[in-house]
Amino acid sequence: MTETEPLLSVRNLEKHYPVGGGLLSGPSGAVRAVDGISFDIARGETLGLVGESGCGKSTAANSIVRLEEPTGGQVLFNGGDRKGRTRNDDGTHPNDVTRFDRTEMKAFRREVGMIFQDPSSSFDPRMPVGDSIGEPLSVHGLDDRRRRRAIVEDLLGRVGLTAADYERYPHEFSGGQKQRLALARALVLNPELIVADEPVSALDMSIQADILGLLDRVQSEFGLSLLFISHDMSVVREICDRVAVMYLGEIVEVGPTESVFTSPKHPYTEALVSAIPTPDPRTANRGIELTGSVPDPADPPAGCRFHTRCHAVVQPPDLDVDRTTWRQLLDFRLAIEAGEVDAAAIEERARIEADGDGREGSTAAEQLRRTFDLPETVSDSAVEEDLAAAIGAVLDGEDGRAAERLRSTVRTPCERQHPESVDHGDGHESACIRHDPEVRTAREWQTEQ
Amino acid sequence: MTDAPLLNVENLTTSFETDAGRLIAVDGLDVTVERGETVCLVGESGSGKTVATESITRLVEEPPGSVDGTVRFRGRDLGTLSEPELRSIRGAEIAHIFQNPQDAMNHCYTVGWQIAEAIRVHEDVSRAAAKARAVDLLDRVGIANAAARVDDYPHEFSGGQKQRAMIAMALATEPALLIADEPTTALDVTVQARILRLVNELKAEYGMGVLFITHDLGVVSEIADRIVVMYAGKAMERGDPVDIFEHPAHPYTRRLLACLPGVGSDHGGIPGSLPDPTDPPDGCRFAPRCDHAVEACSRGEQPAEIEVGSGHCASCIHYHEGYDESVLATDEAVGADPKWEESDD
Repeated sequence: MTETEPLLSVRNLEKHYPVGGGLLSGPSGAVRAVDGISFDIARGETLGLVGESGCGKSTAANSIVRLEEPTGGQVLFNGGDRKGRTRNDDGTHPNDVTRFDRTEMKAFRREVGMIFQDPSSSFDPRMPVGDSIGEPLSVHGLDDRRRRRAIVEDLLGRVGLTAADYERYPHEFSGGQKQRLALARALVLNPELIVADEPVSALDMSIQADILGLLDRVQSEFGLSLLFISHDMSVVREICDRVAVMYLGEIVEVGPTESVFTSPKHPYTEALVSAIPTPDPRTANRGIELTGSVPDPADPPAGCRFHTRCHAVVQPPDLDVDRTTWRQLLDFRLAIEAGEVDAAAIEERARIEADGDGREGSTAAEQLRRTFDLPETVSDSAVEEDLAAAIGAVLDGEDGRAAERLRSTVRTPCERQHPESVDHGDGHESACIRHDPEVRTAREWQTEQ
Repeated sequence: MTDAPLLNVENLTTSFETDAGRLIAVDGLDVTVERGETVCLVGESGSGKTVATESITRLVEEPPGSVDGTVRFRGRDLGTLSEPELRSIRGAEIAHIFQNPQDAMNHCYTVGWQIAEAIRVHEDVSRAAAKARAVDLLDRVGIANAAARVDDYPHEFSGGQKQRAMIAMALATEPALLIADEPTTALDVTVQARILRLVNELKAEYGMGVLFITHDLGVVSEIADRIVVMYAGKAMERGDPVDIFEHPAHPYTRRLLACLPGVGSDHGGIPGSLPDPTDPPDGCRFAPRCDHAVEACSRGEQPAEIEVGSGHCASCIHYHEGYDESVLATDEAVGADPKWEESDD
């Protein structure tokens, strides 16, 4: 059984930060930075964790190694001498990192190395780099100075530097060299897992290629598992065996790298992949444009968290408008609900245009439609009626009534139902409501044109 | 006069006096930008891209800096203009966007106020009309619900939105030339894609010239009409994207392209590091790191740029008279293009 046991297995990991509240009243809410993510990393495997900034990738990494205390879930680490242990009777697991005590934590830290984005800020400027790299050895009880030095000098050679670099100080190294030093330090305790948080994002392209090559080589040489966090899709494609895509604290898709890149199943992955600039001057990028911005993780959208920006959001079968109009109608409703529609500003603008620089004046209603890219009239008359009523209500300052009126026609199952993860075979899973056969058979699934 | 290019930079040389000696950041750079054209300056960090653009609008502080060479903008020599005259050009006719939008906005004023200010500095319009223009511009750069967002403060904007607000501010006066210094480097791919599309649209719409600086070759291929590859303050190669990506002539360009993720010949990177800018090597700046360097490469000056195809120039001695350029053909050129042999003219 130890053969198939993953080295690291993360189950429903959560990290919520309390926000708001007063001195005595306690927090009034929580930023759900990481909200129930699960994945496995096999021995010798590289798993990429990708997503836009603010999606919780780094928080996930920090919670896994307990640089920050996770607020829920389990992190089972089966490295070292912990192989093959089974669950306790009460459902807890002896290998659960989140329940480790001090001694166990110290042993765990020996098995896991970390590399951070900015190599300049992760070395003590007043310490020779050799001492910095060797420090974990003395922390973990190797008191023999000469042996420490021998180990560090050997490692410096393996990461492409020389033993003579031992005595030099961090400022004497370039960014790429510092990242090599960081890798040497991560390797010094002979770990089984390396967690690399954006290790090449701060580096130039030529140096990036260099460090990725080194990581790849070192990984096979030491038989390491690697959790590789990056927002750069092309780098991830280069180095990872499997990829997990994160959006707003959740994993929306996970699978073998090639399969995720060539046939993404989740619309968010699709958009990310299509946005990668291609180094081919003959093909113009026809990237999928995401509307709106990343929602507030303290108050994530109900249902599928991506529905507020999704280009493939499910359209009700009785709504006879094209995809673009459908998305704009939904955006308009969401804006009203979020209280983002400033009726006074729009009326003022209509007024300025009317008596301003000779341009044709427009009514506030027309102005409102233009602001939200809504068509002058919607082809579906039932929708048009609701929309016109809603616009009227907004201009009267009655957002609640407007939202309610729109909700009767502009609605989607994506906002009601939290999608379950569906397996597409070969370990490729994604969580999108369009995978649900019931949604499909209801003829509600209309893909983009 | 109307036939003069929008921007014509000749022999631009910028140096700084430092404790370690005279540091030459840009060394004899020639660039032209026509109306409605995007020219990309590509190179690694430290290659002098940013200093080059700052020298164009004389944003380099003198001393310690010193800028030589001629910069002609719409036929006017910017080097002969007084500071007030330069000020009226900066912002109005030449707009600059910087890498980090965080630092380029004042967080004490609303975004709309700052854009309106940019308009009112250069034009005599009422506050209300300037604000209406600001709303238009924000809407134009794709900020949803611009009428309400115009009264937000910069901290209420996300990174991508701030960068778009910066672009809105830069476009407020409908500049003839936009200088964009790594405007998308700090942004996510999805946001980057939107900004690149926006720059392309605006170029087509206003006939604006764009000088775009980036180290990201993927971005270059999305946006460039012409490319100048820089290394250690010198132009190594110039040409249109098809030339540069499919038939790179200079060994440096080839190594750079080989570093692209997914293209890499077993991810090698480029061994060695940039030369010391206070003491550049003789001859070709890239010679110490070049696989094809011969003895003559390390003598004299950087080789003159020589035309290797129509509008495609490289500064490499192997293309000069008396040298055999076939030594380069054995290089692991990207994509190992079969058309390579017959592509020389």
